[in-house]
Amino acid sequence: MNLVLSWPIRLAVVLILVFSLFVDGAGYVYRIANHYPLTGNVPGLPPNFGGWQLYFHKGLDLAGGTHIDYQLTNFPAGQSRADVQQRTIAVINKRVNSLNVSEPEIRGAGTNSDRITVDLAGVNAAQAQKTIGAVSKLVYTKWVADAAVTGGPEPGYKPQLTGLTGDDIQSANASIDPTGTSWVVNVSFTSHGGTTFDNLTRDNVAACPGDPNTSLTANCPARHLTIWLDLTQTDISHWEDPSYVAKVSAPYDPGCLAQQTEGSVCGKFLTDPITLQEIAGGNATISGGFTQTSAQDLATGINSGSLPVDLVALDVTQVSATLGDQSVKLSLAAGLLGLAIVVLFMIIYYRVPGLLASLALLFYAGAVLAIFKVVPITLTLAGITGFILSVGMAVDANVLIFERFKEEVRAGRTITAAVDAAVRRAWPAIRDSNTSTFITCVILGFFGPSIVKGFAITLAIGVLASLVSSIVVTHNLLAIVLTSGGFRRAGLLGVDRVRTV
Amino acid sequence: MSELSDVKAADQAADIVPTDGASKEPQPVAEPKVRRLNIIGLRNVFFTISLIVIIPGILSMWHNHFLLGIDFAGGTEFTATFTEHPSLAKVESAVSAEGLNGSVIQTTGGGYILRYPPLSAAQQTNVQNDLQTRLGPMNGGGPSQILEVGGTIAGETIEFSLIAIVVASLAILILLAVRFRNVPGGWRAGFQFGGSALAAMLHDVFVLTGLFSIFGTVLHWRVGEIDAFFVTAVLTVVGFSVHDTIVVFDRIRENLRVSQRLSFEQVVNLSIMQTAARSIITSFTVVLVLAAIFISGGTTLQGLSLALLIGIISGTYSSIFNAAPLLVVWRRLQPLR
Repeated sequence: MNLVLSWPIRLAVVLILVFSLFVDGAGYVYRIANHYPLTGNVPGLPPNFGGWQLYFHKGLDLAGGTHIDYQLTNFPAGQSRADVQQRTIAVINKRVNSLNVSEPEIRGAGTNSDRITVDLAGVNAAQAQKTIGAVSKLVYTKWVADAAVTGGPEPGYKPQLTGLTGDDIQSANASIDPTGTSWVVNVSFTSHGGTTFDNLTRDNVAACPGDPNTSLTANCPARHLTIWLDLTQTDISHWEDPSYVAKVSAPYDPGCLAQQTEGSVCGKFLTDPITLQEIAGGNATISGGFTQTSAQDLATGINSGSLPVDLVALDVTQVSATLGDQSVKLSLAAGLLGLAIVVLFMIIYYRVPGLLASLALLFYAGAVLAIFKVVPITLTLAGITGFILSVGMAVDANVLIFERFKEEVRAGRTITAAVDAAVRRAWPAIRDSNTSTFITCVILGFFGPSIVKGFAITLAIGVLASLVSSIVVTHNLLAIVLTSGGFRRAGLLGVDRVRTV
Repeated sequence: MSELSDVKAADQAADIVPTDGASKEPQPVAEPKVRRLNIIGLRNVFFTISLIVIIPGILSMWHNHFLLGIDFAGGTEFTATFTEHPSLAKVESAVSAEGLNGSVIQTTGGGYILRYPPLSAAQQTNVQNDLQTRLGPMNGGGPSQILEVGGTIAGETIEFSLIAIVVASLAILILLAVRFRNVPGGWRAGFQFGGSALAAMLHDVFVLTGLFSIFGTVLHWRVGEIDAFFVTAVLTVVGFSVHDTIVVFDRIRENLRVSQRLSFEQVVNLSIMQTAARSIITSFTVVLVLAAIFISGGTTLQGLSLALLIGIISGTYSSIFNAAPLLVVWRRLQPLR
């Protein structure tokens, strides 16, 4: 027991306290000075350690937004499901990016890699589903001369649909080329697509023969095969209008494409590579000055023409920001009220020890909130309830110790001996009961539905922290304060009489 | 930290039998106030009280099942407040005029919860537009919450919850058997302790689920609706119930070690008396916190806090009046020494 009362432990407690206060208080001066809201992420929030920021991450039920669970169906044959799931997530990410959601969460789930969970703050369900489920059609065009064209990727030429589309593409992925020096994008076609592609590349080479790297005449627009998303015949008929072409030739914009209406013109351009030689066999490589990121972006772009699987929404939850705000206020009020009741009760019933336990409780609450910020734990309504309940657990450990303390004092021990014996004898009960709660939490975390998981995580953290707070902090405070003369009066300790030494 | 539990027997004699003059401890200043209520002797009364609560609940669960929330029943649900504050009757007639089998629940804040069988995205938009034509615009331009739960997810939530309860029960049984195997009687005694705690825990689960079945299906209270929050509550109650029971059992374990003179029944009764104050005080604090949430927490948290209130009260009752008496009954049927 002397270990708990030793100075390294006391120093550790003080350090944890300082750290918690720093983390809990972090950023509020900045928020107030710059008139930013007090919760959530705000631009330039200090302290910032390499993009790692300290604030409470609010779940969708508190922040408002849309949660969707998707079931993936129609997996393409012969590909690893986990792989397909990852590709689908990448495509959804790309599409969702255009919605400017702060911290979209798109996670794989399901025992068989057949689920994807999407959390989008501040987006309504209809908008989210439209963006994610959008089907863009990938098309290949070749180029034909048209002197009236002034803009676009190939001035003086206008595109012509080739009949080669996203349906003919099996997959695209980024990799390092065989020489190991640069990033490339590999596109593999279906057997029908491979034949069409072979014909197109042969025509390309025939249109401007030669080696395009050395011959200027070989490097002509007619030797390009360009990839677009959703490019239509209508777009092509506007090709002589410079402003229209400028808009269409902008890099593709999945958000715009998902919500395009008649009259709006979105960016549809993906890439415009030159054909070096005829390509037979259904596998093409696009190369030329890619970085890892730009190569992966292009691969995702090509894939995003169509999701590799079908998505079926299993459940959709939309919470408005106002309701979220209300929930935050309600749970804050409930938490503070609960804490106030507990503190009042402890002080009235247990006097000085109760006051000390309340201090330990504040230490505990500060430490747990700091953990929530640092990890970070995404807080939901259920999660906050778990935290409030863990306050109950923390109180229980103190009550166990104090009841034991009263017994020991009644049995005639000195205050110092009674504190020591009380903590020692309350420990097995505290340990075993907290272990059982902790085990329940772990099981909930594994098997529970997602709403229950948030609850289990905060309760588990709370239970662990309450152990430290009651055994270490309360014990130390009792040992320090009660052994110093002035507090030995029975009335201050909530017992009938105290044995004087 | 094993040193913590190593309390020397001689050290404790004074606690258990305070009038023991042979102890080296100084004479007590005050007579210890351990009220002598014979809980063990009255155990059948307490068992009967429990059965009076549990049996109607079980019958209700058997016969009426539960009032299922959207998490379990599946469907589409809108929560909305209308700027023109239409009456419940008006909202109900608007919803029934749609012919989509919708139902209406009024919330405390003057809003409405509109519940439908699963609707497609297009149907959802239609329903929202239709409601706004019939009842005037919604606050904030649309529903404050839309929930849509398909059958797959609903089934999984039920399945996961049941698995979680069964696994948690087993884990707790094993934990207690391990923790209590060092009392006289060894592993068999350990399982007696674990089994009694488990029985008390199941008591609390049945009290809670049974009462909610009655609330939802017999009394038709909306708060009796079973949703994912309710599952959370049941599992928390499992944790708390065992928590309370362990405190009593821990005291029995300690007292058994140091008092060879007392019969098992006397030890159990003494231990209950010694821990009752703590159990009641702790539960009282938690009940205060939950009552605060129940009153201030709004519709979302009301069901959860009511469930926890019932569970905590039942858990405290069962730890004092069921768990330890059950242990005595078990000991009589299967004597260990």
